[in-house]
Amino acid sequence: MNRKHFLNQRRVVWKRFEHLVQRITKVGKSRLRGAELAEFSRLFRELSNDLATIRSRAWGQQLVSYLNDLVGRGHNGFYSAPPSNISTKLMRFFTIGFPQLVRANSKFMLTAWLLFFVPLGITWATIQWQPLLAYRVVPAEQLDMMEQMYRSRDDANVIDAEDTDSDRRENDSEEQGEPSFFGFGEERSAMAGYYIEHNTGIALRAFALGILLGVGTVYVLLYNGIVIGAVAGWIISAGHGDRFLTFIVSHGSFELTAIAIAGGAGMMLGDALIHPNQRSPIQSLMSRGLDAVKIMCGAAVMLFIAALIEAYWSPSGVPATAKFAVGGMLWLLVYAYFGFAGLRVATND
Amino acid sequence: MCSDSNDHVGLEMRVETPENVVLTYTLAGPAIRVMAYGMDFLVRTAVMVGIAIVLQIMSIALPGLSTGLLLAIWFVNTWAYFVICECFFNGRSIGKSIFRLRVIHHQGAPISFLASMLRNTLRAVDGIVLYGIGLLSMLCTPRLQRLGDLVAGTVVVQERHVRLPREPVIVNKIDPLPRDEIGSYVPSDGLLSVIDQFLGRRHLLTIGRGHALAWILSRSLADRLNYQGDRTQVERYPMAFLARVFVTFSNREDRSSNRDRDERPVRPARQSPRAQAEPGTRRKRSNQTTQQPSVSIEVPLDFEQ
Repeated sequence: MNRKHFLNQRRVVWKRFEHLVQRITKVGKSRLRGAELAEFSRLFRELSNDLATIRSRAWGQQLVSYLNDLVGRGHNGFYSAPPSNISTKLMRFFTIGFPQLVRANSKFMLTAWLLFFVPLGITWATIQWQPLLAYRVVPAEQLDMMEQMYRSRDDANVIDAEDTDSDRRENDSEEQGEPSFFGFGEERSAMAGYYIEHNTGIALRAFALGILLGVGTVYVLLYNGIVIGAVAGWIISAGHGDRFLTFIVSHGSFELTAIAIAGGAGMMLGDALIHPNQRSPIQSLMSRGLDAVKIMCGAAVMLFIAALIEAYWSPSGVPATAKFAVGGMLWLLVYAYFGFAGLRVATND
Repeated sequence: MCSDSNDHVGLEMRVETPENVVLTYTLAGPAIRVMAYGMDFLVRTAVMVGIAIVLQIMSIALPGLSTGLLLAIWFVNTWAYFVICECFFNGRSIGKSIFRLRVIHHQGAPISFLASMLRNTLRAVDGIVLYGIGLLSMLCTPRLQRLGDLVAGTVVVQERHVRLPREPVIVNKIDPLPRDEIGSYVPSDGLLSVIDQFLGRRHLLTIGRGHALAWILSRSLADRLNYQGDRTQVERYPMAFLARVFVTFSNREDRSSNRDRDERPVRPARQSPRAQAEPGTRRKRSNQTTQQPSVSIEVPLDFEQ
């Protein structure tokens, strides 16, 4: 077989295939007619054969790269994932897959949870007992700002002499239950954006830093645990306990748990490097990274939910008892979800 | 570091497809990736500034909502821009498509959502010290992967859109070497192909340089062929000699392949995708074929249209 003869004969086929590949990348496989798809599949194999022929006969690097490129694009089109129903997949992930994954990697989750909640509890208790220690952990101006926030915010039932004028007026209007529903939501939207940006950012960073042998994740967890604990202890010791607790009880369930879970996913990455078992560290990362990132996506969604609760429900003028009731329910819900959701369904991931 | 690293040094990555064909990809080095990142950065900044202006106007009426939206969009811009682009444009962000880069799975498959999520979340680590960690990782891995690529099992490749090459222009004025002036040596297909490509691109060189390069090959070829003709021609016009060698042997091949084709037509791997591409039987070459000097390659076949 002569090169020239071969080229003459196959040129038409290649052009046809190029056209089909272009159509597939433009309009997608699902839009192609059946006959076209069958032709694409047939031509793909023919071109693979042509490429092998040309390469083995050393018929020219340019020709090889031309066909290589064409077959590569065909390969991309041919082996791309079939279009699947995204909403059912998401449904399945959040009802079954996510809690199952968290349970399957419970030792990492538990470690991260302890690394986050234990220092949080210890600093909280210590600083409530010795409030001045707070200045050793958190800068003074930040503490002042925090206190200011809880002094003036949200709770309209408790009269606070130090309320600033504007807040006072808003609180009053809330109390009267008049036009403020929309205004309240509008104003709180700024905070929703902030919580999404800030908290989810922390969780994603905690996850990503896991690749540094887990050290980065441990640091983020400890740091945030200590700071949150210190602030909580300090605000309560300053006498704003009621308002603070009613504020955090609801969204804390999702938020704090999700940060611990994102940290746990980061520790999975670190552990994949430290204990690669039979694999090379990189293979180990690749195989376990997928589960880790799924868990991280779940945690990110939890943080979105937390941000919405924190922005619109937590500071609202609902009575404290209702908030504690709802908050308690949410904590139960979150832990029941991770404990029992999808327990009876076989893992098929 | 990578267990299945290439035997090649350089930017080539080899992937074997289920069709038993080896595809090669050209990996993208740090420099071009930095440029693509810079382009993305410009785009992201421009979009952010545009949105900020719109929201600034909106904030007259709705201060809270517009601040919230700005922060939420900022979040998307920081963490999700690359994921969104790579998922919707099949592994290319705007900067990457300008520089003709694409992220693919290291086995050649298109990138998946989770892989994109993974490699772009780890940007937070790669980006430490102005992407110093990512750069270090790229320098240490054979496939130029930053940490995010390593975990997600992805590589960034350069896309080439190579056009079908033209046939070298060989006018039929060129005579094949006379049968009685050469011995029984037959150059390999590969060698003929090298000559073919060299002649096809000879206009890229000056004539003097072309002859100088061709001289090395033509002299040893003349020796191997035991060429009895005018050796001074070989020395003075090596390119012409190479052309004559090419014409001589490709014509021979023409004849043998004509017969070949009658016996067994080209049969691409239609019946089974695993069919071996090379039957390996067509290497027989008829040395005894008589010369048909009049038949020679027609002038330029333009494949580019």
